[in-house]
Amino acid sequence: MAKAMSRRSDTQSIPVSFTLNGRLQELDVEPHELLLDVVREHLGLTGVKRSCDVQVCGACTLLVDGRPVSACTTLAFEVRGRSVLTIEGLAQDGKLHPLQQAFIEHGGFQCGFCTPGMILAAKALLDENPNPSEAELKHFMHGNLCRCTGYKKIIESIMAAAKTMRSNA
Amino acid sequence: MLRRFRLEEPETVAEAAELLGRFGESAKLYAGGTELLLAMKEGLVQYERLVNVKNLKGLDDIAAQNGTITIGALCTHRQLESSVALLDKLPALVKLEQNVANVRVRQVGTIGGNLCFAEPHADPGTLLMALGATMVAEKVSSKREIAAKEFFVDAYETSLADDEMLTEIRIPTPGVNARSAYLKFGYLERPSVGVAVAFKLDGGRVGEVKIAVGCAGPAPRRVEEAEALLEGKSSAEALQSLAPAGVIAGRASQAISDLHGSQEYKEHIVGVLLKRTFQSAIS
Amino acid sequence: MQFEKEVEILAPREKVWNFIWDVNRFIACVPGCKEAKTIEEGKKYSATMIEKVGPFKVEFPTSIEVLERQELTHIRAQASGADNKIGSRMKLDLDVNLREQDGKTIVKFVAGVDILGKLAALGHGIIKRKADQVLDEFAQAVKKNLEGAS
Repeated sequence: MAKAMSRRSDTQSIPVSFTLNGRLQELDVEPHELLLDVVREHLGLTGVKRSCDVQVCGACTLLVDGRPVSACTTLAFEVRGRSVLTIEGLAQDGKLHPLQQAFIEHGGFQCGFCTPGMILAAKALLDENPNPSEAELKHFMHGNLCRCTGYKKIIESIMAAAKTMRSNA
Repeated sequence: MLRRFRLEEPETVAEAAELLGRFGESAKLYAGGTELLLAMKEGLVQYERLVNVKNLKGLDDIAAQNGTITIGALCTHRQLESSVALLDKLPALVKLEQNVANVRVRQVGTIGGNLCFAEPHADPGTLLMALGATMVAEKVSSKREIAAKEFFVDAYETSLADDEMLTEIRIPTPGVNARSAYLKFGYLERPSVGVAVAFKLDGGRVGEVKIAVGCAGPAPRRVEEAEALLEGKSSAEALQSLAPAGVIAGRASQAISDLHGSQEYKEHIVGVLLKRTFQSAIS
Repeated sequence: MQFEKEVEILAPREKVWNFIWDVNRFIACVPGCKEAKTIEEGKKYSATMIEKVGPFKVEFPTSIEVLERQELTHIRAQASGADNKIGSRMKLDLDVNLREQDGKTIVKFVAGVDILGKLAALGHGIIKRKADQVLDEFAQAVKKNLEGAS
């Protein structure tokens, strides 16, 4: 999916081949392009949010090779050869991921702005540690901020999802 | 939106150092970018070229041999916080790394980048100072070791030359009697005050005491004057001397009044953290 | 931000006073200041201020205006500049007082400095330290110039 734009002849173009939500993507990006902009603007996946823009709030959390990164402060070319997961890629064949289901059932979101980042970060946590203590959960999720819920329901949702995922495994 | 820059991707340290020498101020080393990209987004700095060092081999190993622990400059905080070798030998460093920033920053941010950016409100430098670490810096065809004490010059300034790259951090393996601890305090995103202590506990006496304070002032600092107050004392006597040592350490921290707190407040917190780190290390 | 510096110069007051109005030599004492120009003798001047804190560099084209002048005793001046590349502005209010004491001249500088815009993101503390350093180096350079030269 090359960008149709008039370029200066000395513009550097980096081919980026990566897996996005399980499917192969091939793009050309310039070195200065940010992952957040490429995913939202070029790929049209707007679940990932720009919020603080300084890597503090977690609303821009994406999973790269299963690990959480701040898309707002990641250069797009860095995902070449890697797998990227956005919130849109979590549900499989129309079936919600246990985390998504749990957030609905336990009221883990209000305005929903922080939620894609929350869920992806929680997925990274549970993939690494399927049975976290509340302290471990809080430590891992420390960098994902929510202005609405006061976090109690978020913790409940993640713990409930963890339980479901352990029994499904 | 960042301004355009060219990406250089050297394969060796020599190549990277050569690029820095050739392009001078218009080029900057780029690893995790967790500090650099923020400054670039704010428009506070601009570069024509970023030199991506993540392809350089052998700079992200953690090894312990011949009495020295070596940490590659490209090790991420995440690697350090989950290193079994480090947990065994330097649990204080592991605990520090577990609490750097947040999980996303730890995922891509490197210890080398953290040290070289020399942001005043940072953790690792302070503890590395107390552990007597040295920094290995390489140019195109030369290499030198810089003691942590001499590495941090000022806010955002290290003693690295413009065409020099930090490649490794070396820490003398702590002996069986060695104790160390690091504590930080802060309620904003970055720490406001950080204190590290290291010493040997031999026959009930503390020796080779090292105290470092960071975050409060423009750069982390050893506080030899406070160390002298504790050196050679029995643990009981040392505990008694913590209060005056804390006052000295507070003043030596070069605390600046800013959003993190007033100078007096930070100096006070230095004293509190010195007491707690010492008590934690000695127990 | 407010700063105060007092410096003792082993030179007579008139010599110090004349030095201050020798714009090129005077401006040369300000670390990072270059290209001093006289726009209106005794009233308006311009210069470029370049300061660095680690990798952060600012370049302020600065205009300086003398607001008050009492021969051999007092000068009040104002300077302002903007670095559009970074998006920061600088304002300086300077009060210079000269008095004689035991054959020496005591020069007192009182400076009010405001940094606005992006650079302020670096933190009030860092900027304050840097401004203090600049003022200190300036006072020392003035002293050295006057005591060294004949």
